[in-house]
Amino acid sequence: MVDSQIIISNLLKSYSSRAEELTVLRGISFEVARGEVICLLGASGSGKTTTLNLLAGIDKPTAGKIYYDGKDINEWTTDQLFEYRLKKIGFIFQEFYLLEHLNALENVMVPIILRGESEEIAQDIALQLLNQVGLGGKALNLPQELSSGEKQRVCVARAIVNNPSVLIADEPTGTLDSKTGDSIMSLLLRLAKKNKMTMIYTSHDPYFTKMASRIFVLQKGVIVEHDSEDFADIGYDKSEFEFLFKGENNE
Amino acid sequence: MNKLDDYIGTEKKQTFLEKLLAGFSFNLRLIWKNISNRKKSMMIITIGLVFSLSILFTSSIWTQTSQLIIADDYIETLDYEMYVSTYLTNAMDSVYAYTVGDYLVKQVDWYYPTVALFNFEDKGPYYRWYPENQQENMSNPVSLTSAHLISSRAIDRIKLNLEIEGNASLNSGEILISYTQAKQLEVIYNKTISPGDEINVAISRRIPNTDIGENQMRFYDINETIFSNYTITGIYKYVGYNTAIAKLLGGLENTGGMLLDSIFFPLEDLSGIDRFIIDSNGLLPRLLVKTNAQQLRINGISQMPDTLHALSERIKIRFFHAYCYILSQEIQSMANEYARTFSSTVLFTPAIVATIFLTILASQMTVKKRKEEITFLRSKGAVSIQIIAIFFGEFILVSTLSLILSIGTGILMAALIPALGHEGFFSKSLFTRYFEYLTISPYDIEIYSVLVLGIYLGMTLINVISFVRKDIHESMIITVRGQRLLGMWIKLAAFALTLAGFIFLMVDYTRVARSSYSFGYGSIGASSNALLAFIAVLFFLSYFVSIGINYVLRAIKKTYKFVFGQNSFLIYKNIKRQTKSLQDLTFFLILIICLLTTFVTIRSTTIHNNIIEDAYRRGSDIRIQSLVAVNITEFEEKLGGIEGIDEIMGFQSIKAIVGSLNVDVFGVDPSKFLSIGRWTDNSFSDIDPESALTTLEESPSSIILSDYIVDRLEFTIGENMTVTDFRGGPFTKEFNVSAMIKSAPGLGIAHGFDPKMNRENYEWVLLKEDILINDLGVHNGTLFLATAEEGADLNLIKEEIETLYPLMTVNPQQINPDYIGYFIVKYIPHVTITLLMGAIVLNVVGVVYILISTDFILGQRRRENAVILALGGNQGKIRKMLVGEISVFLISTLLIGIPLGFLSSILALTFLKPLLIPHEVITMTLHIDFGLLAIMIVTLCVAALLGAIPIIRKQMKYEIVQELRAIV
Repeated sequence: MVDSQIIISNLLKSYSSRAEELTVLRGISFEVARGEVICLLGASGSGKTTTLNLLAGIDKPTAGKIYYDGKDINEWTTDQLFEYRLKKIGFIFQEFYLLEHLNALENVMVPIILRGESEEIAQDIALQLLNQVGLGGKALNLPQELSSGEKQRVCVARAIVNNPSVLIADEPTGTLDSKTGDSIMSLLLRLAKKNKMTMIYTSHDPYFTKMASRIFVLQKGVIVEHDSEDFADIGYDKSEFEFLFKGENNE
Repeated sequence: MNKLDDYIGTEKKQTFLEKLLAGFSFNLRLIWKNISNRKKSMMIITIGLVFSLSILFTSSIWTQTSQLIIADDYIETLDYEMYVSTYLTNAMDSVYAYTVGDYLVKQVDWYYPTVALFNFEDKGPYYRWYPENQQENMSNPVSLTSAHLISSRAIDRIKLNLEIEGNASLNSGEILISYTQAKQLEVIYNKTISPGDEINVAISRRIPNTDIGENQMRFYDINETIFSNYTITGIYKYVGYNTAIAKLLGGLENTGGMLLDSIFFPLEDLSGIDRFIIDSNGLLPRLLVKTNAQQLRINGISQMPDTLHALSERIKIRFFHAYCYILSQEIQSMANEYARTFSSTVLFTPAIVATIFLTILASQMTVKKRKEEITFLRSKGAVSIQIIAIFFGEFILVSTLSLILSIGTGILMAALIPALGHEGFFSKSLFTRYFEYLTISPYDIEIYSVLVLGIYLGMTLINVISFVRKDIHESMIITVRGQRLLGMWIKLAAFALTLAGFIFLMVDYTRVARSSYSFGYGSIGASSNALLAFIAVLFFLSYFVSIGINYVLRAIKKTYKFVFGQNSFLIYKNIKRQTKSLQDLTFFLILIICLLTTFVTIRSTTIHNNIIEDAYRRGSDIRIQSLVAVNITEFEEKLGGIEGIDEIMGFQSIKAIVGSLNVDVFGVDPSKFLSIGRWTDNSFSDIDPESALTTLEESPSSIILSDYIVDRLEFTIGENMTVTDFRGGPFTKEFNVSAMIKSAPGLGIAHGFDPKMNRENYEWVLLKEDILINDLGVHNGTLFLATAEEGADLNLIKEEIETLYPLMTVNPQQINPDYIGYFIVKYIPHVTITLLMGAIVLNVVGVVYILISTDFILGQRRRENAVILALGGNQGKIRKMLVGEISVFLISTLLIGIPLGFLSSILALTFLKPLLIPHEVITMTLHIDFGLLAIMIVTLCVAALLGAIPIIRKQMKYEIVQELRAIV
C-alpha cells in the first residue's frame, strides 16, 4: 500500500466578490506519497496557487478535505495550523515575499526564531543554509540588493530552514530566466532529496515538469486526464509534452 | 468600427483647458469615490480638522460672548454707575430731564439725605435731644438715624447692597430700617422689632446746627412730616461694596457707613413743598443714574469706563454746576481683571498647537498611504494638475464639512465651558444664556479657518506635488538625494529657530523678571510672548531629543533581548529600521508628554501657591474683620476672652501721606505680630521677619515701608523720613526707616493694588502701635488676627464671635467678597482649569496620534505580517511584538518626556508667573502633583494600548492569502 502523506479529496474553493462568485477549484482530488515530487501544471487562473495555499494551510477550502498524515488539517485549531506551517511546510512564494528591512541572513533566520530558537543558533543555521544555496557571500545584503535568482535562493533557504517534510513551491522559476530557473530547480530537487522532503510545485512551463515524478494538469479548477492532445486543448504546444507520454520521465 | 477601435484609432488633440473640463465630471466622481472608499482616513482628517478648528472657534466665540455676559452681569450687580448733584438745587429738574433722556441712561432715581426720628411723639418742640446720649429724658429718649429718601423703585436697585430680613418693599406707608437701628428701637420700646411691625416715624426737613445751639426738636422742622403706623417691611444689613451708594453714603473707607444706622423712606410720601423745604435747607438731592448695560459695553469691556466718562462730560458741559461721581475706577478694575484673567487663556496655546500639528501629521500619513495611487495615475498619463485637482477637490469637500461641524462644535463648546466650569456641575441657565448672547466674529472664523485649513492644504499639496514628478524614476533618485539635503536643512533651520526662540524667550524673561513680585500688563504681555517663544524652543528641543532617543533605541539591542526575550529579534529589527513614521511618533510623543507634564506641574504649583497664599493673606488661625472701626485695645480684651482664642492682636489704622502717596498706616505690636502672623522668608527684602519686627519693637520711631517707596524716594535703611497728613490734617511726624517689606500676613502686599484684600489703598506702612495710640490718638481699626488654642474648634469660635458681634466676620471665605476675580471666574475658568483642560486636550491628542500612527504603521506592515503568518508565525507572537514595540516608544518617550517636562516646568515658572498669579506674595516654588500626573500618563498609555489592540486584532483577522494577493 502506498504511504500517502497528503490526500486531497474533492477540494472546492470559491471566492465571493460584489460582482460574482468565482469558483477557482471545482472538486480536485489526488494523493501524494511521502518523498514524491509533484508538479501542478496549468495556465494562469487554473487554480495552481490556490491548491498550494490550501495545502499549506494559509487558506481554507470552501469544501473538501486535505489530509496530512491522515489528519484533516481543516479541523485543526489556529495554533495547530501555525505549528503545521512552521514545522511541516516549507513554502516558496512566486513573489519571494522577503521582508525588506531584513538582510538575507535575517530573512532566513525568521522561521527559526519563530520556532523559538535563540538568535545565535538561528544565525548559525541560517548561515549554513545560505552557504548551501550558494549565497554565503551575500548574507548581509538587503533584498533590494539581490537579483531575482538570489532572492529565490534566499526563499529556498528560508523554506527549508526548519527541515519541513513538505516543500511547496509556487512557480519557483516563474520570474527567472531559464538558466537561473534550471539551477533553482536543481537546487530544490537536490535539497528535497537530501532532506527526504515531499515536494509539490507549480509551473506553467512544461519544461520544468521534467523533474516531477507525477504531474497533475489543472484546467479551470479541475484535474484533467492528460495526453498531448489535452495540452493542446488548454493552449500548450502538444509537441512540448510528447515526452511525458513516452515514459521518459514518469518514473 | 466599434467604439474601442474608434478610441484607439484616433488621436484627439485637446487643449489643456478642454482636457481639464472634459475630466471635470469624472474627477468629481473620482473625488467622491475616494472619499467614500477612504472613510476611515477621511474621518480621521475631518476629526483632526474639526478638533483644531473648533478649539480655535470655541476660544473666539467664548471670548466674544462671555465679554458681553460678564459686562451685563457686572453692571446688573451694581446699584447705579453714577450719581449727580448740583449746588444750584433749582436746576436739578433740568439736570434730571437731560440725564434721563441720554441714550446711555436706563433709569434715574431721586435721592434725598436727611434724618429720621423715632419715639418723638411725647416730646415737645423744645425737647433737648443734643448731645444724643445726654438727652433731656434718657430713660425715654428720641432715636435719631440717617434717613435715605428714595423713590419706591430705587429700592429694587439699592437692595443689591443689602441683606434683608423681610421684604425689600418701599411702597407708600412702608419703611426699611437697618439692623443697628432696629436694635436701638428694641431698647427704647422694650420689645422685639420685626418686619411687619408698625411704627411712627418723623422725617426731618432740615439738619440742626448744634454749633449754634440748635439742640431742640423744633429745629428738625418735622411738623408736616410725621408719619404714623408705618410698616417695617424689612430689616437690613449693608453688605455691598464698590457701589454708587457706598460712595455716596461714605463711611469708613467708602463702605457705606451711613447705611449701618439708617432707614429708607419712600420719597413719594413727601409732598412737593416738603421736598422744596428740604432743598432749601441745604439738604441737596442727588440723582442716582443707572445705565443701559448693552449701550455701556457696546464698544467692549475695556471702553466702558470711557463711555461712562463721556456721559459725565455731556452732563457737565451742559450744567457747569453739576458734579458727577462715576464708578469708573470699579469698572476699570473689572475691565483690568477681565483682561488679566482672560490673558491666562493663552496658556491653552500649546494644546492648540499640538492639535494643529496632529492634523498636519494625519494629513501627511493619508497622502503617503496614497502614494501608489498617485504613481498609478501618473503612469496612466494624468498631468500633475489633474492629480492635484483631485486632492484639491477632496480638500474642498472635507474642509467645508469640517468648517460646518467646527462652527457648530465651537458654539456648543463655548456654551459648555461656563455651564460646566462653574461650580463643577451643569448649569442650564448659563448654558441657555450663552445662546442668548451668542456673538460670532466672522473675522476670527476667517483667520482661524485660513490658518488651519491653509496649513492642511499646504502640507497635503507639498506631499502630492513631491509624488507627481514627470519622470518617476528620476524623481526617486532626486528624492533620495533631495531628502538627505532637505533633512539637513530642516535640522539646521530647526536649530536656528530654536536659537531664535531661545533669544526671544530670554528677552521676555528678563522683562518678566524685572517686574519683581507685582505683575502689570507689561509683564503679562511679556509672559505671553515668552510662552510662544518657549513653545517654539520646546518644539525643536523635542525634535533634537527625539533624534537622540532614536539613536539610543537603535543601540540597545541587549536591552530588548533582556526585556522581550524571544520576541526581541523582530522588535529590534522594526525599531532599527526607523521609518519616518516612527521618528515622527517619537518626536510627537516627547512633545506631548513634556507639555503634559509641564501643564500638570504648573497647575499643581499654582494651586499649591494659592493655598499657601490664601493662608498668608488670612494672616493667622483666626482673622476677624469688623464692618465698622472699633477700639482695638477694648476689643482685644473682649475677643481675647473668648474660649479657644490663644493670642490676639488688632491693627490700629489711619490714613496718611508718604511723599505723594496715600498710605494706610497700621499700628502693630511687633512681638505679637511676629508670633501670631504666618510670616515667610519672602515677606521682607533682605531681612528676616524676626530681625525686622525686633527692630520695630526696640526703636519706637521705626517705620517699615514697602521696598517700592524706599526705592522710589531713594531712602536707605536707617535714614529719617516724614509721614504727613495723618487723618487728612496737618499732623506730621518723623520716623526712621528700619526695614523694607514686600508683604505681611493678614495685610497682603505692601505695594500695588491687591484686589484680594479688603482695602482700597495701594500702599501701607507699619508703625509700632504705641505711636498711634499715644502720639496720634488713634485707637480704632477693623482687623484682628488671633491664634487658636490647641484643639480649639475654629467653627465654634467663629460662631461665638459672629453672634456676639454681628458686624464682625471671622475667617471670611473670601477676604474681599467684592473681588471682581471671583465674579469673572464664573464665566472664565480659573487658570488652573485652563491648565487642566489643556492637559486633557494634550492627552487626547497624544492618544489619537498614537492610534493614527499605529493604524498607519500597521497598514504599511500588513504584508510583512501576512508573510510571517504564512511562514508559521503565531498571531499571539505578532501581537506581543507590536504591543512590545508600542511600549518601547511609550516608555522611552516617557522616560525622556517626563524629566524634560519637569525641567520645562522649572523654566516656565520663571516667566509664566504673570499669567498664573497677579502678585508673587509667596515665592512660587515647584510643586508636583504626582497623583494627577500619574493619572494623566497612565490614561495616555492605557488608552493608547487599549486603542491599539483592536487595530492589531483587526489586522490579525485579515486572511493571509488576501493580504499577500492584495500586495502583489
